Amino acid sequence: MPEITVLGLSKTFGKAAALSDVSFSVRDKEFLTLLGPSGCGKTTTLMSIAGFQRPDEGLISCGERAFFDGARNVCLAAEDRNLGMVFQSYAIWPHLTVFANVAFPLKIRRTKRDALRRKVMETLELVEMADLAGRYPHELSGGQQQRVALARALVYSPEVLLLDEPFSNLDAKLRERARTWLKRLQGELGLTMLFVTHDQDEALSLSDRIVVMNGGKVLQTGTPEEIYRNPASRVVADFLGRCNIMTAKVATVAGVAPPGGPVSLVLTANGQPVTVAIPHANLAAGDEVQLAVRPEAVEILGPDSAAGSPAESAAAENTYLAELRTVSFLGDHYVYELNADGQALTVTSTKSVAGPSVMVRIPRSACKVLPA
Amino acid sequence: MTLPATAAPAGAPAPAGARHRPGTRLRRLVPETGLQAVIWVITAVCVLCPVLPLLYASVRSLPVYESGGGFTLAAYGQLFADPAFRAAAVNTLEFAGVTTVCSVLLGAGLAVAVSRTDVPGGRGYSRLLIAPVVLPPLGLILGWNALYGPGGYAHQFVNDTLHIPFNLSTVPGMAVLGTAVAVPVVFLVCQAALSGIGPELENAARSVGAPPLRVLARVTVPMLRPALLNAGLLVFTLSIESLGIPLVLGSPQGHDFVASYLYNTWSSGSTPDPPIVSAGATVLLACACLLLLLRGRLLGDQARFVSIGGRGGGQAPVLKLGPVARWAACALIALYLAATTFAPIAALALSSVVSELTPLVAPWHLLTAASWRAIGRGDYVSSIRNSLEIALVGAVITAALVALATAVAHRSRFRLRQSLPFILLFPRAIPGIIIGIGFFWSFVIVNPPGHALLNSIWGIMLALSVRSLTLAYFVMSGAFATVSDSLDDAARSGGAGWWTTMTRITLPIVRPALFVSFVLLFVSILNDYDPALFLVTPGNQIMGVTMLQTLQAGTTGPVAALAMVQVAITVAAIAVAARLFTTRVRGSRNA
Repeated sequence: MPEITVLGLSKTFGKAAALSDVSFSVRDKEFLTLLGPSGCGKTTTLMSIAGFQRPDEGLISCGERAFFDGARNVCLAAEDRNLGMVFQSYAIWPHLTVFANVAFPLKIRRTKRDALRRKVMETLELVEMADLAGRYPHELSGGQQQRVALARALVYSPEVLLLDEPFSNLDAKLRERARTWLKRLQGELGLTMLFVTHDQDEALSLSDRIVVMNGGKVLQTGTPEEIYRNPASRVVADFLGRCNIMTAKVATVAGVAPPGGPVSLVLTANGQPVTVAIPHANLAAGDEVQLAVRPEAVEILGPDSAAGSPAESAAAENTYLAELRTVSFLGDHYVYELNADGQALTVTSTKSVAGPSVMVRIPRSACKVLPA
Repeated sequence: MTLPATAAPAGAPAPAGARHRPGTRLRRLVPETGLQAVIWVITAVCVLCPVLPLLYASVRSLPVYESGGGFTLAAYGQLFADPAFRAAAVNTLEFAGVTTVCSVLLGAGLAVAVSRTDVPGGRGYSRLLIAPVVLPPLGLILGWNALYGPGGYAHQFVNDTLHIPFNLSTVPGMAVLGTAVAVPVVFLVCQAALSGIGPELENAARSVGAPPLRVLARVTVPMLRPALLNAGLLVFTLSIESLGIPLVLGSPQGHDFVASYLYNTWSSGSTPDPPIVSAGATVLLACACLLLLLRGRLLGDQARFVSIGGRGGGQAPVLKLGPVARWAACALIALYLAATTFAPIAALALSSVVSELTPLVAPWHLLTAASWRAIGRGDYVSSIRNSLEIALVGAVITAALVALATAVAHRSRFRLRQSLPFILLFPRAIPGIIIGIGFFWSFVIVNPPGHALLNSIWGIMLALSVRSLTLAYFVMSGAFATVSDSLDDAARSGGAGWWTTMTRITLPIVRPALFVSFVLLFVSILNDYDPALFLVTPGNQIMGVTMLQTLQAGTTGPVAALAMVQVAITVAAIAVAARLFTTRVRGSRNA
């Protein structure tokens, strides 16, 4: 399967810029996700690739074929792009049976009757819908309709499969099952997939790589782990999982700190020191930075009494005494809302502790300095 | 909390320890169901009162005002034995069949062209194409007659220059006009259906590789099937009751339809009020009711045509025509509009200002204001005044009644509420002449003092209002459906009763729809004439009837002028309404 390249895509609706300079590529057999809040331009991007919206400028190509080239005024019709598409609403044709829905793309391609029948039934078996081939769409549940939509998009072996929030109409349990199932299918068939969603769990669990978008721009591209562990900006950190954002000022820079070397900072909220490892050295004393700390990275040392004398513990690096505000029990873990002398902290842990105050430690490596 | 009246008989002592005192409970319950019952009874009586006396009159040996008659089916035997009736029935079926087939093909084609291709001016066309729906029907017929009728202005051009043998007075000729009148109905139904088909269904077909024409043929048009069936049955039902077209065009040449046969028998029969007419009207009514039942049956199982809404790409046209085809299609639609709507109205306007409209003499040699001076006098001016009066009063009362009836039907727990939608839809299914004959018999049977209904314009107003009330119900039920039940519930949990909730919360929310239904009723009552033909008495004329009767006497100029008055009032009312409506919507958005 060829790779899809999107280069410098821009589009405006009236005065509002829907896309500005969007670039990324989908590699062969890759599961790439466009992730972002609603209105971030991810669906516009997908619809431009599918051919239902025409961007103002930029380039979309699939292997050697140009789908869209603003400079040369090339815009291939949607039906000539040979892509598979699963719509958010499934768009199953209500006047056709399940079989006829899936057979339609093959009829367009003038497939012989026997081959058509075999192929349709094979595909329906793949999505576990062969038994219901004679039904009409209104006789199917949401999950079944979604499988028909997928079968219809797969049956003619398109070069790339595009999926527009296909799970958003399913309930939580079904969604999880559909996810596992889709991932397995992708592996088995070696499909190239471009997936659009606003659900971060979906994006993290399914994708080989994620493109995070907001306000019509690409914010970051990378594997789920890269993006989760090293968010490129506050918006990315906020959108992908929960995150504590703390403001701090640089106190000292020990000469020219080597990349990864320790830097001392002072938290703006409570004036306490915090030491972090920085990826680059262009920080000067007095600079204000933002630190991103994932809630699960904060260690709970225990109730204050158990951790020896408070003064002794507080002397250790990045260790703070915090007041316990609320505790929520979520089955496999607890969520603690803490207040460390004015600095709010959200911490998740499997450890159960009781208040009124606890000692916590933020490991040096858990503090990510966000670019200004 | 308010309980349905059935839960506790009014006046029964409240059980000991009940939280409500019996007094408060009574005040809440009785007026509420009482009011709903009153609204239900008024609506039901108005709609049913033309039907029952008609059935009764058709099986009496003597007119109902003469004593001593008995039960007989003689009128039916006489009717079916009359060769004139059988000829009229065949003509009617031929006319309705041709009209239905042609208008469904043309209307659906136009709807697809306008909403699914990139024909230039599509949006403007979709407004102009429905113009004949609001134009006075009689005006359009007279315009066609002035243009294409025998001796019409363009008759020679069409027949001799274009070599199209076209005679408007024959049944196929009338079917051409019938098609032009029915196309907007089909167009409206199809366009509504097309806008209900989400673009993602068509985009899905394109994404799997179907070329545009294939998408239209395999997805769009099949999805339209219920709309086509619905529109076809609707047009057929409307066609079999056509009265104006045969009366103006066919009857003088001996081509009668059932409706015109009944009217001619009624007005020129040797015996007054012959039972044969009641029998014929009953037969027509039975056909209309059968078609209504058939429509309900066929359209009932359409659940599979319901699709889940959602976004799925832009509203881009499915079919991109080439530059030549685009403009050719644009020109064709323009030509169609000109030939079927604008040229006839222009011909009508022209014939109102000349002494005679003929292709042999240039019209500016024959200019005269005589026709317009004529309608400023005597019967003409009083019929204009009567028409305006009944249209205004009738529209106000009907709009209010339908709004309340819709509230009972859709927003109450009144026990008979489910019957109201049927009652409110019924008048559209009854042919106009049946409403006329039926009300005539009811006014004869229930004759209030001073012949207040039989010999006055208020009886005509009642008949025309009943005939039009379905229009208002379409508008109101659509509007009620957009208002969430929770808004009502909020008012009721705040302590408001049904009446207060409706008049202070729900109806004010749907105010724009109330206004739209008033304007539609006004225009419809103003331009209607079928039922009134059987109810007018000297001195109580309305415009449509005056026009038909003057035309039958052989005078055309003042008729054209009166028709132009109708067109002008209609266009003005709709323009004012559109103006007020948009400012009102804008105003409420700013608020």
